[in-house]
Amino acid sequence: MKKWMIILAALFLTGFLLSGSAYAVRKGGTLNFMAPYGGDLSTLDLTKTSRYQDYLVGMNIHRGLYRWDAQNSVPVLDLPESLEISADKKTYTFKLRPNITFHNGRQLVTDDVIWSFTRIATMKPSAPAFRYINMIEGAKDLHEGKISTFTGMKKIDDLTFQIVLTAPIDLSYSLWFPAVVIYPKEEVERLGDAFGTNPVGCGPFKFVKWVKGSEVILEKFDNFYMEGMPYLDKVTYKIMGEAAARDLAFKARELDATIVGAVNYPEYKADPVISKNMIEVAEMFTRLVGMNPDFKPFADKRVRQAINYAIPSDLIIEKILKGKAFPARGYLPSSSPAFDPDGKKYEFNPEKAKALMKEAGYENGFVVERAIGTANKSWGTGIYEAMMPYLKKIGIELKIQQMEGAAMDARIRSSDFDMFIWSLDSGPDSLETMSRWKSDVDVGSGNYVKFKNAEFDKLLDQAAVAETDAEKNELVKKADAIFTEEAPVWFFNYNKAIMAFHPWVHNLSKVAPEMMFQDLTAVWVDETSPRANEK
Amino acid sequence: MFAYAVRRLLQFIPTILAISLIIFILLNVLPGNAALMSRGEQDTGTLTTEDIEEMKRDWGLDKPLWYRYAVYLKGLVTGDLGKSFLRREPVNQLLKERIWPTLKLAMTAMLIAICLGVPLGFYSALRQGRIADTITMIGAVSGVSMPQFWLGLLLMYFVSVKFQLLPPQGYGEGSIKHIVLPAFTLGIGYVGLLARTTRAAVVEILSLDYIRTARAKGLSELLINQKHVMRNALILILTTAGLQFGDLMAQTVIVEKLFSWPGLGSLLVDSIFQRDIPVTQGCILVIISTFLLVNLIVDLLYGVIDPRIRASYK
Amino acid sequence: MNKNLRKIIRQTNLLVGGGITLFVITVAVFAPVLAPFHPVDDSDLMVSEEPPGAPYYLGTDIQGRDILSRVIYGARISLAIGLVSQTLNTIIGVLFGLSAGFFGGWWDDFVMGLTNIMLSIPALVFALAIMALLGPGLINVFIAMGFTNWSFSCRITRSQALSAKNLDYVKAARALGYGRIRLMFTQILPNIIGPILIIGTLGVAWAILLEAALSFLGLGVQPPTPSWGGMLSTAREQLFTAPWISIFPGIAIFITVLGLNLLGDGLRDILDPHTQTQHS
Repeated sequence: MKKWMIILAALFLTGFLLSGSAYAVRKGGTLNFMAPYGGDLSTLDLTKTSRYQDYLVGMNIHRGLYRWDAQNSVPVLDLPESLEISADKKTYTFKLRPNITFHNGRQLVTDDVIWSFTRIATMKPSAPAFRYINMIEGAKDLHEGKISTFTGMKKIDDLTFQIVLTAPIDLSYSLWFPAVVIYPKEEVERLGDAFGTNPVGCGPFKFVKWVKGSEVILEKFDNFYMEGMPYLDKVTYKIMGEAAARDLAFKARELDATIVGAVNYPEYKADPVISKNMIEVAEMFTRLVGMNPDFKPFADKRVRQAINYAIPSDLIIEKILKGKAFPARGYLPSSSPAFDPDGKKYEFNPEKAKALMKEAGYENGFVVERAIGTANKSWGTGIYEAMMPYLKKIGIELKIQQMEGAAMDARIRSSDFDMFIWSLDSGPDSLETMSRWKSDVDVGSGNYVKFKNAEFDKLLDQAAVAETDAEKNELVKKADAIFTEEAPVWFFNYNKAIMAFHPWVHNLSKVAPEMMFQDLTAVWVDETSPRANEK
Repeated sequence: MFAYAVRRLLQFIPTILAISLIIFILLNVLPGNAALMSRGEQDTGTLTTEDIEEMKRDWGLDKPLWYRYAVYLKGLVTGDLGKSFLRREPVNQLLKERIWPTLKLAMTAMLIAICLGVPLGFYSALRQGRIADTITMIGAVSGVSMPQFWLGLLLMYFVSVKFQLLPPQGYGEGSIKHIVLPAFTLGIGYVGLLARTTRAAVVEILSLDYIRTARAKGLSELLINQKHVMRNALILILTTAGLQFGDLMAQTVIVEKLFSWPGLGSLLVDSIFQRDIPVTQGCILVIISTFLLVNLIVDLLYGVIDPRIRASYK
Repeated sequence: MNKNLRKIIRQTNLLVGGGITLFVITVAVFAPVLAPFHPVDDSDLMVSEEPPGAPYYLGTDIQGRDILSRVIYGARISLAIGLVSQTLNTIIGVLFGLSAGFFGGWWDDFVMGLTNIMLSIPALVFALAIMALLGPGLINVFIAMGFTNWSFSCRITRSQALSAKNLDYVKAARALGYGRIRLMFTQILPNIIGPILIIGTLGVAWAILLEAALSFLGLGVQPPTPSWGGMLSTAREQLFTAPWISIFPGIAIFITVLGLNLLGDGLRDILDPHTQTQHS
């Protein structure tokens, strides 16, 4: 009897809480959001792009099999309502929700999933999204044109299908990425290349207009599968790459939210209103300076370690980044499941640095002629400038070459540098992230510092066949420790991404893989918004 | 006059051909390539070397330079500017959307510059060599002396953030509210220029013999200004405005980036940084053609203003 | 002589402009003596973003470098950009113009065609493309600006050369057996010095501003070299939180460009009342 009462009370309480929050939610209004990364979007056909600027808008138009659950920082099912994984972890059986419609009114069925995946695999030139599905059986053969049907994608009925993998890999970590989304075949075929500028998806918002170079406008899709959602009537993405202008537009209430750069961080933190409306997350990007082992001094581990000891990273983070970063230990960021909080950290120790330089035979130092970087504030040449006086103390002189992203990319890939400063994607899957440094990965595919270590490779190979996640992460952690000890890079920081918003904006979330990947389905604005009733 | 216009139009052809060659060579030797830039600034490590080769094949970048130029020329003749590497859209389409906002911005800016610059220059010339002249010129040249992005940020701060008078950025369907700040930022730099040109023109004309005579005859200063000076000065001012229009179109590069204005300038910068060569070529071609056209119009306007010049259109 | 002197003194534009320009040049020349700190080496993160006050009279930037010293050294860089690029432009323009005017024929057609092309490509677009090609850097800035702005001086030199060719004394000189080259330099150059000087003065101002624009796009001078445009553009996000970092280089650009423009106008008033030169 008593037990029954408690359960009832609990039920009432949850019901009350749920309805309470449901009542607080206000429907309607417009959100002025931003697309802050560089210039204009290139396309809203997410299969064809790999630019975050495109994903962050497109992910609210399109949907895939998984989405990122920001609250728990894991991928969760999106379009399918259920999933069964076979014992050998190689066959995934999905059952789609029965109530999903595309923006053109047609129901989403199994054929759309298979068609969309086939399109990714067969697209010429190859779709950037291909790497997220290349572990599916037949994907590679299909990609190379050896077969014409996707053998690993099996239709069972209109709502049920199977995906068969070549190896037991956790599919969710690949498929949550906004590049793998499901399209209505007829619209893609009807529009051809123009689909990229007139996208039709099944997400919470419908595409309305894209004023090239200025803004993208989306409106609420009434038949979105989540009942009663989204709350907003309209979303405008202002394309604003210029941080100074974005800051002013936010203060002028033209933007409802903004991504905060380092220089504005102290100011926003000190503001009594804005400081209460900021969300922070340890983003999965590692900022570092890569050292080219072909440059003779950098072939010596002691020199690389000396550089790590010689630079006060914490001070640079405090002064130049205004505390908007987490000091790095190894490669994997603090938000990674394989992060080792007790791992080795190179503390500022100029004496030790000098000693190591002497040991390596570079007592008199050397000149780094090609220290390349972009003008980025947090991981560009400004950091070199801050490093310079400290490196000078151990005899190392830097010659900075600043360039824009396109030129920089080409230089890194052709190993045409002594040092580069960059921000590398380091999440969310720890093994995949760490694998870029394996000996057999070439420079063009991401091993920019030509890291070679047999023991490291072995650990990662073991991790790939590990039974449990915990076991896998433990092995990756060990690999990261080797990487840190070898110091092929100067470990700088993990990004702390910060989003500030006005008090009338609710439900923005802390998205660790990329703060700008904001799912706006549950976001709402209250009546104090200047655009509370704008449609 | 019509025949003259046609002849001038025909003269554009070699100019445009030569420019297209220069630009083509310049852009095609740029380091970096669109395949890499399609990945965006933050590394996602999505492309393998084979992918890049494949994209290059797809875009025809594996062919020799002369062949690519021939293909480009062939397209140019038929009015087809090719297809964007990254956006996979016809360049014509991209340009079509962007021309009007830029023209609107550039024309408004030029209007602001003329409305402020010409009276200032006129006043300055009449006070030539005196303190009032210097002060006026300092005022006029001030605009030119400030880098545009700096001026733009200051305007945004005071007008939009402090006093909340105008929106700080965006196109807003091209409303007047939205165009004021960018046009002002762009135009103010040309106030000084037009003021200087006007001043120089008026100073020169005032020193001409027949004006001196008129002055000696006791015609009121005002009347002299109106009758003789204005018409002569107008030609020079028009020429300057015309010559500067191309420069102004190019300056939209900065202003459009700052204000998220959906024009050619921001497209040009994006496409150069993304190494989207067909789009860059298209943008430059349009900016140059506009410049040439505007100057042709200016030339034809001379005839309207001054019948003596019309006689020379043969 | 006396009359000329009076004429010069009457031109306040010339005096004010000349005074400012002279001041900036002096600062640039004596930078090592005037600057209290080294603009690059004396950086100290512990004094990052100090507001103006002793010993940093104009404050420090984010790297903890003295802004006064960077502005003073910046005069060297910015003036160098202006002077070198304009000298290049002038040399190219004068050589092309002289030879075109003198030799005529297909060479003249070619040069005039080229001039028209250069005139119709906006300098910023050209500079942007060249900087994207070469990458940022001081030498590259010289190149990008030094080869893009010579059409004005070319046109003026050519027209002077054309008219000089038919002057009686030039004909006489030729009859006396003076070589063409010698004639070009002795007879025509003195005539074009006025306009060239004016174009050059305004061109220096133009180049300083263009460098600022390129810096905004990330294509200016390499850090940590202190150029005014670079300083201004790097600190633009701090314009309202640490205004001193960008205000002072901004003022330096403002004053210098203003001075050069006034000087150019003043020069035009006394040297060249009959030739109008259009210039940004």
